Amino acid sequence: MSTHSESKFVSIVDDDDSVRGTLQELLRSAGFCSRAFESAEAFLGSGNQRETACLITDIRMPGMSGLELQARLNAEHCRIPTIFITAHGDEEMRFKALREGAVEFLPKPFDDEVLIESVRAALER
Amino acid sequence: MAFPGKMNWAARPAWSATLRYGLAVASVVVAFGLASALVHFHIPQTFGAFALTAIALTFWYAGTKPGILAALLSSVVRDFLFDPGTSTESRLLFDLVFLVFALLMMQLVRGRNQLELRVAERTVELTRLNDDLKREIAEHNRVEAELRLSEAYLAEAQRLSHTGSWAWSPPPGDIRYWSEECYRVQGFDPKEGQPPYEVFFQTIHPDDQARVAEVIDRAVREKKDFKFDYRIVHLGGEIREAQSVGHPVLGPSGDLVEYVGTIIDVTERKQAEKERERLREAQADLAHASRMTTMGELTASLAHEVNQPITAAVNGASTCVRWLTRDNPDLEEAREAAAGAIRNAKRAADIINRIRSILKKGESKRQLADVNELIREMIALLRSETNRYSISVRTELDADLPRIMADPVQVQQVVMNLIMNGIDAMKDLNRLREIVIRSQRTENQQLMISISDTGVGLPPQQKDKIFDAFFTTKSQGIGMGLRISRSIVESHGGRLWAADNLPHGACLSFTLPIPAEA
Repeated sequence: MSTHSESKFVSIVDDDDSVRGTLQELLRSAGFCSRAFESAEAFLGSGNQRETACLITDIRMPGMSGLELQARLNAEHCRIPTIFITAHGDEEMRFKALREGAVEFLPKPFDDEVLIESVRAALER
Repeated sequence: MAFPGKMNWAARPAWSATLRYGLAVASVVVAFGLASALVHFHIPQTFGAFALTAIALTFWYAGTKPGILAALLSSVVRDFLFDPGTSTESRLLFDLVFLVFALLMMQLVRGRNQLELRVAERTVELTRLNDDLKREIAEHNRVEAELRLSEAYLAEAQRLSHTGSWAWSPPPGDIRYWSEECYRVQGFDPKEGQPPYEVFFQTIHPDDQARVAEVIDRAVREKKDFKFDYRIVHLGGEIREAQSVGHPVLGPSGDLVEYVGTIIDVTERKQAEKERERLREAQADLAHASRMTTMGELTASLAHEVNQPITAAVNGASTCVRWLTRDNPDLEEAREAAAGAIRNAKRAADIINRIRSILKKGESKRQLADVNELIREMIALLRSETNRYSISVRTELDADLPRIMADPVQVQQVVMNLIMNGIDAMKDLNRLREIVIRSQRTENQQLMISISDTGVGLPPQQKDKIFDAFFTTKSQGIGMGLRISRSIVESHGGRLWAADNLPHGACLSFTLPIPAEA
């Protein structure tokens, strides 16, 4: 099992408490550190963008959506490897996300192995 | 009858003293004058007769004292004017005659006066009795007229309400009283007179006869009230629905004297009830169809809403497996992750149940419901839909609301329709998108729920049109949501209306009555 420095952590943005919480637990069981935010605005406001090694975000949320968050980060030249998780993503949405630099686009519920591998890959960049 | 002719005689007006004493003097003067005239014509010694007449007249008409005066005057006139030369014996004799006569007249006048008094008293009494009698007759007439009027009103009321009244002495007795309306309801001709009980019984529908007989028999046996519905077959074959109630009248020793009661023609009432029932069913069907449509439009959001807890459950289960399959398994972490998975799987099942209860077709069921809870559930169910359009939902729910009697699914349907309207009004606008849901208790014992949005607002000049069937400003939808919401609210005894929300949007509010004991 690999270990990572404290300064490298995963940020999770999802408006659903239970998804957010269980995702953190899943990452912890795989040995990753994470911080969770209930909205894109909360994440942007936290000032954690620069230290985030990998971003896992929902797409449909009240307020700013996951795709809007990606666009904002790109505009700020803050390129974080981003994994999208969504309950209703279509091909068009997936294509758009990947074109904008997303590393993965996972439909909910997702396979934990795929997610963990994606996170690991992102962190080892 | 009164006695007007004798009234004057009985109540003779009192003469003045001058008139009465004047009569004494005048009658004696007239007697003296007449006697003097007769003396002139050589018919002597007649003053005595005239004087007695004068005394008698005075006594009769002027009373005792003027009579005595007339007697004294007569004596003086006779002794000193008419026959001054008469002897003392003759004078005394005449004085004695006048005296005796005066005494006799006194007795006579007294007797007459007493008689007059008695007659007057008797007359007053008779007059009073007569007046009483007249009053009694007038009262009797008035009561009789009132009774006739009251009977007419009663007959009219019976006719209008199709209610006949009857009295019947129990088996094998006869019908004792049978009001006019009974004939009409039961289909008899009043000209043929009161029907025997058996004939009445034969007009009951053959299928109902055994049941009716049993109900009546049991009531008579137990001396209790009875009530039954039955059908009447009229002569022409027409079947009418009727209801009869009866109440036993018991004698002093508790024996059954008779039954009194009514028969009511309830055909129209039953018909109206059936119509109302059909209408309720149609309304429930329509509400259900409308719910199906709305939920159909929400499929994507509902799927998302179910997907969230399933994702969380899968995450939990995956985490559990990871803790167990590590080189050194951590059972405590695995147990906690598994517990979370179970919790989230249950949450997913709850949401599916909620969706199913909304989609389920069933008759409207009223039960005690917590409106705030219903609102919260609906907000949760629509969360994905509001998220989809980046609409924030804020609530101001009065925590102290009493529970109300309502159909929870239908109330949720109204809340759902109003929230969906709010979403539709805002989704294409580029400004703050917010739905605010308030619940509160009004002063007149009602709950008021209002749902306001910051959308395009109500169509100007046709605020109330939005409640018409098939009125819609949307590109999708058939314009039934608000119409159905209003009929649901009204069937619960409440009101649904629309107003402008300031500065933007609309505010839809509805009330639901609070049960009296809450």
